[in-house]
Amino acid sequence: MISITNPAGLWALLGIPAVLAIHFLQRQAVTIPISTLFLLEKTQRESASGRRLDRLMNSVPLWMQLLGVLLLAWLLSEPRYQKARSTQRVAIVLDSSASMSVVKDQLIEEITEALPDIQGAATALEVTLLESTPGRPRLYSGASVEDLRAALEEWRPRTGLMDPAQALRLARSLVSREGIVIYATDTPIEAPFDARILAVGEEIENVGFTGVSIVEKEGQPVWQALVRNYSKNRSSRTWQLEMPNGAMTEPKTFDIDPNGFVTLQAAFPDGADRVQLVLSPDDFTLDDFLPMVVPQPKKISIFSATGGAYEELAKKLQRSLDSTVETYDATDADLTILSYDPLDPVQTTGNAIVFVRDDTRGGAYLKGGIISSPHPLIDALNWQSLLVRETIQLQRRETDNVLLWQGSRPLIFLREKEATADSPASRQLCFNFDLRLSNAATQPAFIVMLHRFSEQLRASKVAPATEMLESGQPIELAASADPEAPALTLKSINLDGKTTATDSLPASLRVKVTAPLDSGFLNVSQGESELLDASVYFADTREADFSACAKDNTLSMGSAASVERHTEEDHWWRAWFLLLLLALLISWHFTRERAAKSPAGNQTLTPQLK
Amino acid sequence: MTTEEISLYHARALAAAGRLRLPLRSRVWRGQAGEFQGAGVGSSLDFQDHRTYVPGDDPRHINWQAYARTGQYTMKLYREEVRPVVDVVFDASESMFFDPEKAARSAELFCFAVESARRSGAATVVHLVRGDATRIVPPDLIASHQWLNDARALPSADSAAAPDFSRIPFRANAIRVLVSDLLFSGDPEPIIRYLSARHGSPILLVPFLKSEASPDWAGNYEFVDAERRSRHQHRIEPSVLKRYQESYINHFALWKNATRRHQARMARVACEPDLQTALFAEAVPSGALETAI
Repeated sequence: MISITNPAGLWALLGIPAVLAIHFLQRQAVTIPISTLFLLEKTQRESASGRRLDRLMNSVPLWMQLLGVLLLAWLLSEPRYQKARSTQRVAIVLDSSASMSVVKDQLIEEITEALPDIQGAATALEVTLLESTPGRPRLYSGASVEDLRAALEEWRPRTGLMDPAQALRLARSLVSREGIVIYATDTPIEAPFDARILAVGEEIENVGFTGVSIVEKEGQPVWQALVRNYSKNRSSRTWQLEMPNGAMTEPKTFDIDPNGFVTLQAAFPDGADRVQLVLSPDDFTLDDFLPMVVPQPKKISIFSATGGAYEELAKKLQRSLDSTVETYDATDADLTILSYDPLDPVQTTGNAIVFVRDDTRGGAYLKGGIISSPHPLIDALNWQSLLVRETIQLQRRETDNVLLWQGSRPLIFLREKEATADSPASRQLCFNFDLRLSNAATQPAFIVMLHRFSEQLRASKVAPATEMLESGQPIELAASADPEAPALTLKSINLDGKTTATDSLPASLRVKVTAPLDSGFLNVSQGESELLDASVYFADTREADFSACAKDNTLSMGSAASVERHTEEDHWWRAWFLLLLLALLISWHFTRERAAKSPAGNQTLTPQLK
Repeated sequence: MTTEEISLYHARALAAAGRLRLPLRSRVWRGQAGEFQGAGVGSSLDFQDHRTYVPGDDPRHINWQAYARTGQYTMKLYREEVRPVVDVVFDASESMFFDPEKAARSAELFCFAVESARRSGAATVVHLVRGDATRIVPPDLIASHQWLNDARALPSADSAAAPDFSRIPFRANAIRVLVSDLLFSGDPEPIIRYLSARHGSPILLVPFLKSEASPDWAGNYEFVDAERRSRHQHRIEPSVLKRYQESYINHFALWKNATRRHQARMARVACEPDLQTALFAEAVPSGALETAI
């Protein structure tokens, strides 16, 4: 197969009509007198006037000049011959962000149409289809355009904005330096690793939900949904609430300013476990649905055993934490607030916050620098203004993890105990000084630390919870890790409660779960135990904003190198060049000879008598 | 063509007439007394025969020596000397003048025919013909080199048509010299028959150009007809040129055959060489002219 490297060279073919025009005009100029017209007309019927095109034939300069034009066009267009067994390797990295769902069909068409040009002069094409999300498996790898198209049809872009550099690096390594890497997106970028851009996005007007919260007003849950208009134009939309039985409320219309926000709110319907808020649709439909449940965190039962010393602190802590219950049985408590009196030491085996109780009220302020250890509980907290008097200390074990030091004296340490056959695992946060003889209660770091500890305990508690999650949100679930404990079952369910997808995860203490990428509802259970009942909604405002989307196409970039790699030059070009010169010389020779004996040049009309 | 040019051509014709002449001596003439040997008995010095005297004979021609020997009146008979008759016909169609060389050669041939006849003492009448128009040219016009103006002023309905010789009052027993390029369509037979009528002896002097006989046409041309001045677009391919040349040859082959049948003489005289060279090359071998010596 022949490929034309420089199609602009074909403009030289315009020389053909130019040569024909010149010859045509030249032929018209020859006028001579004749005395033997009757002989000519008798023998030359076919040369009658009116066949102007025929007059151009059989002239050596004409044919030589036409041949010269053809040779010139051939040389200028730089034809190249296809090499045998040349393969063009192409890696297409798909921008897997959710905004691509709008232009997915268009992208499929453009990729399918561009593939022949991308293959170019190569005899075979090898395509690898990747997503920009790191760690995802390849969507397709092979040479079939039909299979590639099927893989593209199956592809569902749902993730958030992501740097494609890692995927482009992987793609470049797959196709080597000679291959072509294409980044298919809707937002043009400066792609690294010599990747070409195929951007098919366009700025569309989108209005969608950006978030939701459920508050309790007068004992009644009330949902509050935030709607944003991402476009530059004022827009009007309607919203409806869809019930599990399919019933929908009357549509309500609202106007929203350009780049403006509107908060919708209404009472959560009584008796409904789940509902769905529906916005009148636009091109980007992912953010037009908002599934909702009433969040119910896991409850933490708190038992206070402070002997009165820290009763006020315990009450404050309980009030500040969500979803807590007070218990009076230490064995049922998830968290015990305990004061340690060396004269009356009370031990607990469960999770606890332990304070020192020193009624001597003596001791000087501790001296020395306050140094915190790297630990999630204490990370980024400022303790420098903490003032602590010397008090009695807890009996520290070697396995205790000191979180805060003052000088060489441990102020706070964490005592963790692994689960045994008799007792579950426990964590105790121990304050190795008497809070009452310090200003710790007024320290923000102290409050935050207590909350962090409490929330960690809540997270590690195996108990049912109800939450509203964003699509793709990673969460950790506490589950039973008993050897006989069943695996976790994840069910994606719709508003009607029908299961649309089921997945299974092995049981462990902490199970990492990612919320589904599509809006809907999620149910996680372990055997008979419900662990999570959640609604999943799309709320990625970066993906819903199409203002930066545009079209771009750099697929033809570097095609010359590709052609050079898969083809070889016409080795006869020198011969063609010499033939061109020869044609021009022959044309010149005949033209000169013709001009020398041109009848138009030396013949005149009839001489007149003077 | 100016008067000076015609005068020049006349001078060349005179020079040629000094070396060449019309073939008047090759035949026996009847007519008025003159320089050429007549068909009958005349009053020249050349003895021809004897015969018996009959009353009414001129007694001056009685052979007295024979009477003395025989006693019979015997008459001496002498050969008759007559003047030949020459009709010169000039074809004044435009094709004779469209090219300077051909115009010059046509004028030279015309002057040569007239002067050669005049030198021979022939009774010469000069006719101009142009299509269907004819005219007799007075000798003074030829002498004053004004004849060409009369020739080209002849009113003709169609100058491209064949000359109408039926309008010319040819004399009996005359040599009829036709100066024409014969480039007109039509059968030559009736024309030669006209020229040969009444014991006429036609001599055709035909000027021609090499560019007419073998042109180097190739490509597109706009031909201007020399006779009608009309323009004609033609594309000349090599095959067309070949057929044209064949047609040209066939045209003059017809004339050759016709002249041969009527014992006429035809000489095609090229326009490119000088007059005498052309006449010696073409006219003498064909018998249309003979050397004056």
